Amino acid sequence: MTEAVLQLRNVTKKIGGRTIVDNLTFDIPAGEVFGFLGPNGAGKTTTIRMIVGLISMTKGEALIKGVSVRNYFELAMTHVGAIVENPEMYKFLTGYQNLALFARRHNGITKERINEVVTMLGLQNRIHEKVKRYSLGMRQRLGVAQAILHRPSLLILDEPTNGLDPAGIRELRDYLRKLTKEEGISVIVSSHLLSEMELMCDRVAIIQGGKLMDIRSLQETRDAAQTKIIIEVDDIPAAEQLLASVFDTARMNVIGDQLELTADKEAIPHITKLLVNAEIEVLGIHAVQKSLEDQFLEITGGEMIV
Amino acid sequence: MSSLSKLIRNENMKIYRRPRTWIMIAFLLLTVALLSGLMNWESYRNPSTDWEQGLIQVNSSMQQELQNNQELNGDQKKQLTEQIKLNEYYLEQGINPRELSLWDYVNNSSSLIILVTILTVIIAADMIAAEFSWGTIKLLLIGPASRTKIMVSKYIATMGFALLLLLLCFGSAFAAGGILEGFDGLSQPLLSVNADGIVQESSMIVDVLQKYGFAVISLIMYVTMAFMISSAFRSSSMAIAFSLLFMLVGNTVTMLLSSYSWVKYLLFANIDLTRYLEGSSPLRPEMTLSFSILMLAIYYLAFQFIAWLLFTKRDVAG
Repeated sequence: MTEAVLQLRNVTKKIGGRTIVDNLTFDIPAGEVFGFLGPNGAGKTTTIRMIVGLISMTKGEALIKGVSVRNYFELAMTHVGAIVENPEMYKFLTGYQNLALFARRHNGITKERINEVVTMLGLQNRIHEKVKRYSLGMRQRLGVAQAILHRPSLLILDEPTNGLDPAGIRELRDYLRKLTKEEGISVIVSSHLLSEMELMCDRVAIIQGGKLMDIRSLQETRDAAQTKIIIEVDDIPAAEQLLASVFDTARMNVIGDQLELTADKEAIPHITKLLVNAEIEVLGIHAVQKSLEDQFLEITGGEMIV
Repeated sequence: MSSLSKLIRNENMKIYRRPRTWIMIAFLLLTVALLSGLMNWESYRNPSTDWEQGLIQVNSSMQQELQNNQELNGDQKKQLTEQIKLNEYYLEQGINPRELSLWDYVNNSSSLIILVTILTVIIAADMIAAEFSWGTIKLLLIGPASRTKIMVSKYIATMGFALLLLLLCFGSAFAAGGILEGFDGLSQPLLSVNADGIVQESSMIVDVLQKYGFAVISLIMYVTMAFMISSAFRSSSMAIAFSLLFMLVGNTVTMLLSSYSWVKYLLFANIDLTRYLEGSSPLRPEMTLSFSILMLAIYYLAFQFIAWLLFTKRDVAG
């Protein structure tokens, strides 16, 4: 494993005796897209804001490239780019003026670099227009441009997809992929859209009540996940009886007029043959992979996330 | 890490790229032009062709007043004798005191510093609060600049704006005076009667700068207060409202309460240092110039400290 870009050590936040974030400790290696999942009020946003110093920590430490956020805030922040919710820019300035403003805070950002980022995000045609005339999607792109100008090692996205339409979300996802691949940036995302997180992240941390419940690698989960096969037939009891001779009955489940069976995808042709030979009318057979949402609900005990 | 000068440039960009700022500047210039125009029109309407005759008349009536009026106190007597001396000097030298010179315009413009104060208070009130209402505060704070640095840059940019307005106020009044009355009045001295009863000449510009200086003290106090309220409540309307309220009613309230001795600890009792100049008296007899300066310094430091504490130590959530 490469050196961790972000290290959290016992990060804790208490407000008025209530613990919002409780002893979070984990590392994020370089080049990884890391997601924060959790129900409303689980402490995702609080954690992210503690990492960037918007909210103070009650206890613990966050190290960005080994630099303490608390003790060397300015130095630590040179490695960070952030998009917090809808990136609000100065609307009375043009896109370019906004970028120049953010660039000036860092050392050594050249005009060429600004232009490079503008072109990379496809903003070159409208960069000299006032931001108040930008659509939300364009503002989001400008937000990404602002965040990556100084080639940060860590990109922090707090609810980046709020208010974006599906096309905008997809666009953002593509940029993130490109960035992690081309510039080796690590990304932390918190989002309430589980399906998005599933597509974006390499690993997710599941947080509930301020506590870290689990960290899982999505690649592993995808591989390990067993497939559910859903069978629709005209005669459910007959089909159940038939399949019980081949599969473990514990892995079968009748839900309404569907028969659910946990098995490998490869079993589908075999099942079809069995059913057809027994002259049971097959209306449909399809495989469903257990989604992140299912797993998430398992872990958090069915509490809904918003 | 961000350098302070670059942060100040950023803050300046946020001030001067807004159309509102230029409307304010235009408003100030327009007011100076209007005031100068009025002054010029007024002196044009009342031409003083026989000013020498007028001065002689005024002097003789003042002489009579001095001799006949028993109710005059020491101060009033002194004022009258000094005025008579000055008038005699005018007649000797052939100077028409009612003829306007460039310096009269500049002198009058010092009364517009209250307007400069109001405009700067509006800018100061927005400096921190607007970042919150725009939602840009998060991006501003997540950067390689400490909150203290950001606050200092904002304060300096605000004071820079005040300085610009002051220079414009002075400069435009100077230009208006020069255009309307000619620039030859530039060397005109300020005439006054000194302690020995002799008419003396002193520099006009020093007198004008002194006037500006006293007004700038209250400007700094009110602007710093607006800045603090902006930082405390994160609301620009609240900062503007409170600062202007204090500006407008502070004086009246302290006057009303002036019989209580604790009034001397209020900001408004100390903010007008011209009270310590000759010819006026402080709000309460026990107050001295050094006391007022000390009180102002304490208030100033308290405003700055509270603003700093509330800006740097509070969480930014929501």
